[in-house]
Amino acid sequence: MRDVTVSGLSKTFGAQPVLAGLDLEVPAGSLTAILGPSGSGKTTLLRLLAGFERADRGTIAIGGVQVDGPGVHLPPERRRIGYVPQEGSLFPHLTVAGNVGFGLPAAQRRGGKVDALLETVGLGGFGRRYPHQLSGGQQQRVALARALAIEPAVVLLDEPFASLDAHLRASVRADVQEIFRRAGTTAVLVTHDQDEALSVADRVAALRDGRIAQCAPPEDLYCRPADPRLASFIGEANLLEGVVSGATVKTLLGALPLDPAAAIPGAAGQVTVLIRPEQIDIMPNEDGLTAHVTSYRYHGHDAVLVVRLQDETGAEGSEPVVVRIIGGSHRPVAPQLSVGAVVTLRARGPVFAWPAD
Amino acid sequence: MTLLADVQDATGTRGTRPARRTSRPVALLTAATAVAVLMAVPLVFLLIEAAGAGAGELRSLIFRSLTWSLLWNTVRLTAVVTVACAVVGTGAAWCVERTDLPGRRVWAVLVVIPLAIPDFVVSFGWNSLWTWAHGFIGAVIVMTLAVYPLVYLPVAASLRSADPSQEEVARSLGVGRVRTFARITLGQAKGAIGGGCLLVALVLLAEYGAFEILGYQTFTTEIFTEFHGYSFAASCALSLVLVLLSLLVLAGEGVLRSRGGRVTRTGPMTQRISPPQRLGRLRWPVLALFAALVLLALGVPVASAVYWMTAGLPPALSGGANVSLLNAAAHTAGYGAAAGALATVLAFPVALLALRHAGRVRHFLERSSYLVLGMPGVVVAFALSYFTERYAAGFGYGTPALLTVCYAVMFFPLALVGVKASLARAPVSLDEVARSLGQRRLAVLFRVTARIAGPGLVAAFCLVFLSVVTELTATLLLIPTGTQTLATQFWAYETNLSYSQAAPFALVMMVVAAVPSYLLGRFFQRPAQTGG
Repeated sequence: MRDVTVSGLSKTFGAQPVLAGLDLEVPAGSLTAILGPSGSGKTTLLRLLAGFERADRGTIAIGGVQVDGPGVHLPPERRRIGYVPQEGSLFPHLTVAGNVGFGLPAAQRRGGKVDALLETVGLGGFGRRYPHQLSGGQQQRVALARALAIEPAVVLLDEPFASLDAHLRASVRADVQEIFRRAGTTAVLVTHDQDEALSVADRVAALRDGRIAQCAPPEDLYCRPADPRLASFIGEANLLEGVVSGATVKTLLGALPLDPAAAIPGAAGQVTVLIRPEQIDIMPNEDGLTAHVTSYRYHGHDAVLVVRLQDETGAEGSEPVVVRIIGGSHRPVAPQLSVGAVVTLRARGPVFAWPAD
Repeated sequence: MTLLADVQDATGTRGTRPARRTSRPVALLTAATAVAVLMAVPLVFLLIEAAGAGAGELRSLIFRSLTWSLLWNTVRLTAVVTVACAVVGTGAAWCVERTDLPGRRVWAVLVVIPLAIPDFVVSFGWNSLWTWAHGFIGAVIVMTLAVYPLVYLPVAASLRSADPSQEEVARSLGVGRVRTFARITLGQAKGAIGGGCLLVALVLLAEYGAFEILGYQTFTTEIFTEFHGYSFAASCALSLVLVLLSLLVLAGEGVLRSRGGRVTRTGPMTQRISPPQRLGRLRWPVLALFAALVLLALGVPVASAVYWMTAGLPPALSGGANVSLLNAAAHTAGYGAAAGALATVLAFPVALLALRHAGRVRHFLERSSYLVLGMPGVVVAFALSYFTERYAAGFGYGTPALLTVCYAVMFFPLALVGVKASLARAPVSLDEVARSLGQRRLAVLFRVTARIAGPGLVAAFCLVFLSVVTELTATLLLIPTGTQTLATQFWAYETNLSYSQAAPFALVMMVVAAVPSYLLGRFFQRPAQTGG
């Protein structure tokens, strides 16, 4: 169990800067997700951590020992990194047990340790099979066991669930999370799937423009993102203008309590307010803010509406507002929802805000 | 080089994304450059020799009536046989892969075996049984029967891997069976047919033994004669024309290929097998055609060898021949193994570079090594012997080493196909995983790369081994004095008209060549195993 410290890391391919002075702290024993769109340099970061690539600038330290930096480059085989690539990349010529034992000294390759690891990942008794006889999810778990076998300082996972079917993904994800919890291993997982990042990791680092825009526990990242752009990147966001006075902020959707964590200088003035779609309720047609529905998408477990507000005179506001409500047909209040319907909205605080530019 | 593409298509080894690597693989680049230089040696020394002979003499040697008659002989035979092979090979491949022809699996094997029989043994079989089988007609029959598998194999592979849904879509759009075949199926196989025809044409340009037996004069037979008569300038001039012809064929095929778009197909995950086309009333005629093809291509050479053996001397007298048979077989196997190993080793850095490090220099190195394809064996042997004579004071001439190097150069492109196909099965990501698990580079090479690529390396070795066993031209020119291989001993008896003594050598060659052929078929038909 080691921590990872990355500072000022830069990497350029050709003329294309991929990482530009990236800083990242991965606490020992944590499961940290690197979240970024494809092409944002997630995989490059992972490959630098593993030692497959060399940094142009900056340093990487694992457990306080510098492994990459000016004049230093520890080869991958000496970093004790458990690497789980995207497709699992099991050795096709070895059995499952052979794969898991690959990184162990010859004497330990047969026997207890390998079996115990296979038990851990829920594949006891699969040792004599070959990779091509396993399902995608099973292969992924063998790859994980193989990485854990060398008692790595850090495990790196590159989009480990991307190649799995949707229904498999959730269960493998949960299994992996459980395995890490129990093993207490430091792990870094790379993904473009925010659902995955938020649900699996203890900490999520959002990668943007070659840097970490913010690294925080999932709830913090979602509720208190560093800036409005990040708010829109992670989940859906209504960004409204507002005016702060004291502990409340006045917006189109009424006066709402301000999140104490929002750092508003002087606790007053123009701000940009973040209201997540699920912070807005649809109320029975009563007094309040009316809006009419311009789009309605039903997902079963929830439903997403886009509405346009009407001001006191009944004229339409320009800002579309996204609203997420519980789906099913057992909503406490069920006004007839369809495009064109007029609804009443109510927002719930506390809301987060940033000083307006 | 298109066969390479087709073999790779068939084995699913194409389209692997080269890993991005920023570090320059210095050792690998050096090794690959050295190999490319070695491959360039024959062409370079041919040009040096030509320059030494002087422009005036060259011109008088090239622009004479003999050259024109050789050109006519060579070109018309190449054209006719290439077309014949395209028809026979494509037709047979389509019937085996896409129709309900009875016994398709058996035919698939029988139809390929003639490739393992040396061309000069086929011509011996025909010529020794029937005296009318000589000259142009004889050459067309013999060569078509001997080399059509070069078209059959890539076409069958491409039909196997082509997306059957394209044909279904065509049918659903109201296009009939025959037109679907012409517009879609042939379109899908176009690249493979072109690649096969390229190989056929190159083989025809380089063939010596078969034409010598059939009394048909081409550039290669004439170069051989001039070289043996020590007319170096003349053989050099003719070699230049021959190399030019080969390069023209290579270039022409390249142009054809670049015009047609690449055939798209669904990935291996979604690959389906289309229901076979029903032959219906054509069933029995087609069966008869297949029987005739196998009888002529396989039956005649085997039967002829068996006939001459039984018609020959009583066993008591052939005792001496048996000893030399073992002896010759051992030499053949030794050369085959040495050249196979050397060519595979030489191909390794070039293949590794081509697969794992994209880049212009690397691409150029790989491409340039294919130039050897345009160098007929007689020219390679000629250039190498010239080199040892002029620049190494005869050192190495007439040694087993020189012949081995000659084989390795000649069959380098074949080795490269096999090595590339096999290395592609061991993607870089596996190396990386292995290294992250604490293994050093060398350990990774042995425990992962070599283990996965192993079967393919054996295939590359077999491919070269097989070619060496059936090689005659360069062998006759460079074999150390006093040594006999199966091919040279067969040749010695054959030219003496001692058919009954030549026959056992022919049979043993067929058997020795058949084993690697079988292994190769197994290797290239097996889909690439993916690591998940």
